[in-house]
Amino acid sequence: MKRLILPLAVLVALALAFLPMVGSDTMVQFGINALLLATLAQSWNILGGFGGYVSFGNSVFYGLGTYGTAIAMTNYNLPFGVGLVIGVILAMIGAALVGLPILRLRGPYFAIATLGLNGAMMAIFSNLPIAGSNIGLVLPLARNDAMFYELALGLLVVCTLTVLWISRSRYGMGLIAIREDEDAAGVMGVNATLWKVSALVLASIFTAVAGGIHAYWSTFVDPASAFDSTLNVRMVIMCVFGGPGTVFGPVIGSFVLSAVYEVLAAQISTAAALLFGFVIVLAVVFMPRGLADVVKGGRAISWRYFIRNIRENRL
Amino acid sequence: MTAAPQTTPRTVIETRGLTKRFQGLVSVNNVSFQIAEGETLGVIGPNGAGKTTLVNMISGTLTPSEGQVVFEGQVINDVPAFRRAHLGIARTFQVMKPFHGMTVLENVAVGALFGRGAERSMAAAKEKAREWLEFTGLGRRIDANAEALGGPDRKRLEFAKALSMQPRLLLLDEVMAGLNPVEVDEVVDLIKKIRSQGMALLVIEHVVKAIRSLSDRVMVLHHGEKIADGDPTRVLEDPRVIEAYLGKRRT
Ligand SMILES: Nc1ncnc2c1ncn2[C@@H]1O[C@H](COP(=O)(O)OP(=O)(O)OP(=O)(O)O)[C@@H](O)[C@H]1O
Ligand SMILES: [Mg+2]
Repeated sequence: MKRLILPLAVLVALALAFLPMVGSDTMVQFGINALLLATLAQSWNILGGFGGYVSFGNSVFYGLGTYGTAIAMTNYNLPFGVGLVIGVILAMIGAALVGLPILRLRGPYFAIATLGLNGAMMAIFSNLPIAGSNIGLVLPLARNDAMFYELALGLLVVCTLTVLWISRSRYGMGLIAIREDEDAAGVMGVNATLWKVSALVLASIFTAVAGGIHAYWSTFVDPASAFDSTLNVRMVIMCVFGGPGTVFGPVIGSFVLSAVYEVLAAQISTAAALLFGFVIVLAVVFMPRGLADVVKGGRAISWRYFIRNIRENRL
Repeated sequence: MTAAPQTTPRTVIETRGLTKRFQGLVSVNNVSFQIAEGETLGVIGPNGAGKTTLVNMISGTLTPSEGQVVFEGQVINDVPAFRRAHLGIARTFQVMKPFHGMTVLENVAVGALFGRGAERSMAAAKEKAREWLEFTGLGRRIDANAEALGGPDRKRLEFAKALSMQPRLLLLDEVMAGLNPVEVDEVVDLIKKIRSQGMALLVIEHVVKAIRSLSDRVMVLHHGEKIADGDPTRVLEDPRVIEAYLGKRRT
């Protein structure tokens, strides 16, 4: 099983690369959204899944990526690539500035401290003339869905390769040690502050690029859509649903949930959100360690696995 | 940082008037001691005497309320725990803290990757970890998940994790608690083996027989205060010690 996963992932990525040539327009558009969401979930996985720190502030880096790109392209007529770089730099600075003070907080206190970040950024950008204040910015039209699709796919691949490296490296061992017991990790020589802040900065890079791609694709940015805390909630749900702290779990989790949501929205548009919530509650109850843990069990998986999870969680 | 007064070069760890207060409670009170290279200090005392708190202040888990921790001639009060690990201080936890999401081998590899040896490559760290696991008798459980280990094996894992850091000072907080007499003898032999490599050792233990056979000196804590420090036989026969420690435990 384990040996098959890597070649299989390569095959899937290759197959996905050909989708714009054969798929319909709506399929490609669905693909762009799904790939970007998977990237967000995968980058949330770096600190959240490996380091065990639940952040509700990652959507801020997405917003900084969208605005960095949008401001560069509209106000300064800079090319898209330069805009992305500016967005990434803004996000990295933001991650370091936010991370240094609040990553000293442990567990739930860290999560709570990140909750206010979206609101604060929204207030700031609503009053920035260079960012179009509360009206927002309109980017030049590109009309090239195939390009956006391939960009989003490439980003997800790079992000997943990074997570693959983390899972096998000294760096990743330090993060997992922090997740399992921060005191013990420190006493064994892990510089927890450096490790956590760098994990947040690393996550901010991919998150910001995803934001920049989305901004150019949708040609429109405003404070409410850029700094959207429900987007962060989706990252958490998708990562946790797929399997936090695993390499492919967050990607599979996002693909599955994006597809489920798409089907629900097409069938029963009004109750879709409600049903989607229901699916997630069921998932958390039956497989609290995510899809990846179910798959790891291989053939041994049966109804017993789900019953045991329920027992362990005293439901 | 003011220049630390010169200590004799062979002293590895020294505390000067170390004190820890928790709100009103003084759990370590004005404790001073030294351990030299290759020396083993046994620390005994009734439950709540302040033994673990003392170790916490040396490893950097807690900051002292008063006094100094001096490691190889340098005052390290302000040095964070992870840097003390790089300097060569390692400890085990009485309440064991294995990393659950990792295998036994990976648990120990963390020590090799981040401790004083700071091995950069995963392969080399795992190779070292394997050696320490063989040494501590956990070789057969290398690929098990850490949470799958039973009590005695968890103790061995704590021990192997600390050793893999290649420390100069090793603080062992009740690594024999819960072991049967045969297992205690095994651990005593292990400790004797590593001691011969020149490490300074602080061993907290309730098993008096083990303390007697391991220690070059024994220090006794009672209500946070040091009430004796010296030759094991003499200290263990001291009437004050018997009353404070052995009497209370009704052994
Ligand atoms: N973090 C803490 N906060 C408040 N009080 C504490 C804390 N840590 C230890 N104490 C108190 O300090 C005293 C000494 O505790 P310590 O754990 O050092 O004793 P010990 O000698 O290791 O005992 P044992 O033999 O049971 O392990 C106890 O009264 C304990 O309740
Ligand atoms: Mg103790």
